[in-house]
Amino acid sequence: MSDKRWLSEPRIFYVVPVLALAIPILVNDYIQYIVNLILVYVLVGVGFNIVIGNLGQLAFANAAFFGIGAYTTGLLMYHFQVPFPLALVAGGLVGAGAGALVSLPALRGVRGFYLAIITLALGELMRWVYVHAESVTLGSMGLHVPLPFIGGIALKNDYGKFYVFLFVVVALVVSTSNLLRSRFGRAFMSIRDNELAAASVGIHTARYIVLAFAWSGFVVGVGGGLYAALVRQVSPEAFNLLELIVHFAIVTIGGLASLGGSILGAVILTAAPEFIRDLPGFEELLLATLMLVILLFLPRGFVSILARFIPAIRDRYYRE
Amino acid sequence: MAQLLELTGVSVRFDGVQALSAVSLGVAAGEIVAVIGPNGAGKTSLFNAITGYVELAEGGITLSGTRIDGLTPHEISSRGVRRTFQNGGLFGELTVLENVLAGLHGRVGGSLLGVLFGSRAARTAEREAVAEARRLLDIMGVRHLERQLAKDLSGGQQRMVEIVRALATNPPLLLLDEPAVGLAPPVREQLVRTIHRLAKKEGLGILLIEHAIELVMNVSDRIVVLNYGEKIADGTPAEVRADKQVLEAYLGHA
Repeated sequence: MSDKRWLSEPRIFYVVPVLALAIPILVNDYIQYIVNLILVYVLVGVGFNIVIGNLGQLAFANAAFFGIGAYTTGLLMYHFQVPFPLALVAGGLVGAGAGALVSLPALRGVRGFYLAIITLALGELMRWVYVHAESVTLGSMGLHVPLPFIGGIALKNDYGKFYVFLFVVVALVVSTSNLLRSRFGRAFMSIRDNELAAASVGIHTARYIVLAFAWSGFVVGVGGGLYAALVRQVSPEAFNLLELIVHFAIVTIGGLASLGGSILGAVILTAAPEFIRDLPGFEELLLATLMLVILLFLPRGFVSILARFIPAIRDRYYRE
Repeated sequence: MAQLLELTGVSVRFDGVQALSAVSLGVAAGEIVAVIGPNGAGKTSLFNAITGYVELAEGGITLSGTRIDGLTPHEISSRGVRRTFQNGGLFGELTVLENVLAGLHGRVGGSLLGVLFGSRAARTAEREAVAEARRLLDIMGVRHLERQLAKDLSGGQQRMVEIVRALATNPPLLLLDEPAVGLAPPVREQLVRTIHRLAKKEGLGILLIEHAIELVMNVSDRIVVLNYGEKIADGTPAEVRADKQVLEAYLGHA
């Protein structure tokens, strides 16, 4: 076996974050901001992939979970001066609740295109709520999120935020990996591959459908909370259909049902537009081109190329 | 012999179609019972009724004396009734090892929080499950396939792995839905030996749907014949072979 021992599993979970600690020394403010944004979108991709990749459900409420997390964290800080760490956890928990709620139609046997339409509608409904529940959400102009503090230290710039974000993202990626490599993750994928057979081996399918959606909502909700702290401006338009398409692109271009793929997709789709910002219209062109390449040549996403060289990022659903 | 599985007057209806009419039958521990009958006779409906995939219109089903009708499929599975599927029930995108681990689902310990935080207990439970899955694959002689995706296996390998997965939790009763379809003769031989060993050495009760009539005659202790949802014969292979009604159902003589 072609072993890259220094990147063998589970060391990859330690090596990469430790190397990442050096990023603030190496980059300027602008790039640091982009790196932080990548971390936010890692959670967006990882969370989304659980539902569409691992559980195999066409549920498109991800931008809604993201917005719900961002609004929960932002509004708690804005209205009640809730400390950022607590507000962030609340963002995740409300996201999890939204996830559990979205799983209800799936439990009722709504699948495929029907589930897609219902969940898309939820995203649009949430935008309507953000705009019209003005007394709470501050309407279409959105809200300005107060300066986040962690243990009395103000996160004034993107370098400080980076360390907090890195910690949160590593914790959630590792726990998601733990979840997927257990009987819980195997239950998700059993349901995706053959729901009737999943029940025949004693898997309480309804329970695991709710769990997958709730964990997905939690991870994406925390991502939303980090987003609120990063850009410090939360408004309805940030969670529209185009945003959802970007989420979908992260998952499919990175690699469906692959944890490493979600991370790679977040890096590609957050960083690439920055290189072509000066060329109007190229962002859409790039997105379309990447999607076509994936559809035609790499159905398992760009991660499938990488996995050939780094065995540790291949997805396995058990541990030795 | 005390019955392991007992069906009493089981009827199943779909939209006015009578799939099963008042079928009664029993399977004892260590007994191999085959269910045969023409297409549409209700064989798979019978399996679906036993495993909770369809509701009964009438009748009752017990496992070791306890009612199991009305329970959901995963509850019935947890009580020790395991089945395979006619069109293959493996999880295609999972490997052989992961499929068997899924079969061990109810046996793998570790709470949700323990798993998320990677607790020692959860890791130990997972390692033990992997060791157990490998042991089971070894027994059935398919350990070498453990890293292959289920969808990439040949038909015969898929059926063997599905049986391993069904047996993972040592169920007292196994239901096999056309296990020999599309198998090459040597693989079919291996399957017959496996079924025989499971019943006679391990004491499993086995209920089996099969079209390959010579296999049925070889392996079964008893044969139940269904026709249009009704049981028309129930006896030893020799008895069934001589049954007039069975010949009529199969050959269409009026």
